[in-house]
Amino acid sequence: MASGFRGYLLRRVIYVALTIFLILTFNYMLFRVMPGDVARIVIPKHASPETIAQLHTYYGLDKDPITQYVIYLKQTFKGELGKSISFRTGSMVGDIVAPYLTKTLFLVGTGTVISIFVGVILGRETAWRRGKIFDKVGSAFFITFYCMPTFLFAIVMITVVANYVPNWPISHETSDTYEDMDIVGKFLDRTQHLILPIFALVIETIATFSIITRSALIDVLTEDYMLTAVAKGVRPRNVLRKHAMPNALLPVVTVVAMNVGWILSGSIMIERIFNYQGLGWLTWQAVLSLDYPLLQGSFMLEAIAVVIANLIADIALFKLDPRVKL
Amino acid sequence: MRGQETKPLAKKSITFLLPSKARMEKARLFAKRAKGIWRDFRKNLGGMLGLIILMFFVVMAVLAPIIATHADPNNQVRWQYNPKFSPPSSKFLFGTDSLGKDVYSLTVFGSRASLIVGIMASLISIILGTVVGLVSGFFGKISDELLMRVTDFFLVIPWFPLMIVFATLLGKSFTNVIIVIGITSWPSTARIVRAQVLSVKEKGFVERARAIGSGSIHLIYRHILPNVVPLIFANTVLLVANSIFSESFLDFFGLGDITVVSWGTMLEEAYDAGAFSRAWWWIAAPGISIVALIMAFYMIGDALDEVLNPRLRRR
Repeated sequence: MASGFRGYLLRRVIYVALTIFLILTFNYMLFRVMPGDVARIVIPKHASPETIAQLHTYYGLDKDPITQYVIYLKQTFKGELGKSISFRTGSMVGDIVAPYLTKTLFLVGTGTVISIFVGVILGRETAWRRGKIFDKVGSAFFITFYCMPTFLFAIVMITVVANYVPNWPISHETSDTYEDMDIVGKFLDRTQHLILPIFALVIETIATFSIITRSALIDVLTEDYMLTAVAKGVRPRNVLRKHAMPNALLPVVTVVAMNVGWILSGSIMIERIFNYQGLGWLTWQAVLSLDYPLLQGSFMLEAIAVVIANLIADIALFKLDPRVKL
Repeated sequence: MRGQETKPLAKKSITFLLPSKARMEKARLFAKRAKGIWRDFRKNLGGMLGLIILMFFVVMAVLAPIIATHADPNNQVRWQYNPKFSPPSSKFLFGTDSLGKDVYSLTVFGSRASLIVGIMASLISIILGTVVGLVSGFFGKISDELLMRVTDFFLVIPWFPLMIVFATLLGKSFTNVIIVIGITSWPSTARIVRAQVLSVKEKGFVERARAIGSGSIHLIYRHILPNVVPLIFANTVLLVANSIFSESFLDFFGLGDITVVSWGTMLEEAYDAGAFSRAWWWIAAPGISIVALIMAFYMIGDALDEVLNPRLRRR
């Protein structure tokens, strides 16, 4: 068992390493094959040939593509993601991105944990009461929120809050007076600012996870061994907890794993709307100012983060289900 | 000598007769099947509700110039003297925006963008996905390895940031939005098609057709594809819902064509103008429309899936 797990782990890690390498290559090619040269955006219209040449050297565009690719790989592994052309022009993308990355990881991490807990519990309760009024109302809500784009829900929430709770913060992650607050005030201020974005972020994933848990659990509950358990005299809630849930959780874990990228996408929308300064907000800034190096850097980090999150989910799945053989 | 001569002749006469009869039979069977599907679909409450909502929006899109109270709502000549931020009234059914544009007319015209992008992008995605899935499933070996690695790669990298990157690099235009959504959403279709092709390929009738000497193209076209279509049909409808969402988001993210009236652009303008504290109607109109349309496609797709692929659902 242990060696089987080790072998599996090794294969997964190699696969992930390969994927990351491919992401880097793809990232490199994408930004060179596609129309729009970095230099062309920075260079003023009537720049002299010398200026153009100088800028090309500055951004390393004067070498042939293969040399550029090797340099790109080397720099990426050293954590140098190129020079930003808009955001504090000239500073390294890696330095710019780091604080934003932590904020996004926090938002996505908290969001994922909350959605898993709430989603699984709601799915369990609706499945347990299937056909009853609680299930019908719940399912209707799930489908509505499942179909409602996260950014739209966020806007609706802002609209409601702005009208009924005028003093509630709807933008940024701290108040203007944040620096003058004491430690408790700072903590409360941050929490207050986080509630809306996190709520808006999790609502769609909660709906997704609830739908999956509900249908997986209903599948399990109609199996014969459920009847056996009831016939044995196991108490109903224990049938649910000990016999049904462990089997129903497997498809849920798979879906959670597939949804990590989706939660990150939700985070991009949320950050743009609430001015929460994370990776998604940075991506948006890069898009607005056509800052290709910055966009490239944040895209690479987003992609790698998702790949690694998938790896973690795969390992969790392997641990949970002894039947998984890949 | 004679025997050899009559044989091709006989074959010729058969091939001459067969198609028309076979075609008639096929058409009859198809009609019968369509009727059966419709009968099952009609019983599905959610599916019918979705269809009604969809018809509502299709009629809205087709008759937009007639339904809209203000023709050409995006034209400055028309809106410059209108009151700004006017709440809903009999003149402006859904109120006006920060510039004085009629929100009702914008919403009506916006249905066109959503439906066109939704359908065109899904079409691109379904064609790409089906071709990739068919080729890799049917021909196997190296083509399968190669195509599936590419598919896996696109499945694993977050589709959303990828869409943003593509859209930024291609530039803002209505066509580019369609292309970007189309080329980023095919991998799941490719996976589904490939799995189905692999299972159909092993069926007896394919083996028999191959034994008579059918070529690959014939096999794919006549035997494999008909068995794959029902599976991707429901998937396509769900893809449309996804594309509509993507379109509204790209517009909202500032990556769409601002000269085209669309719900996403309306939401972006509303958000940037701070409509959430003083013009709820400006957000409600496009917002409800997006949710209703996405939900319609979702419910239709769900119902179709239940009707077309009953074995995959519920025991």
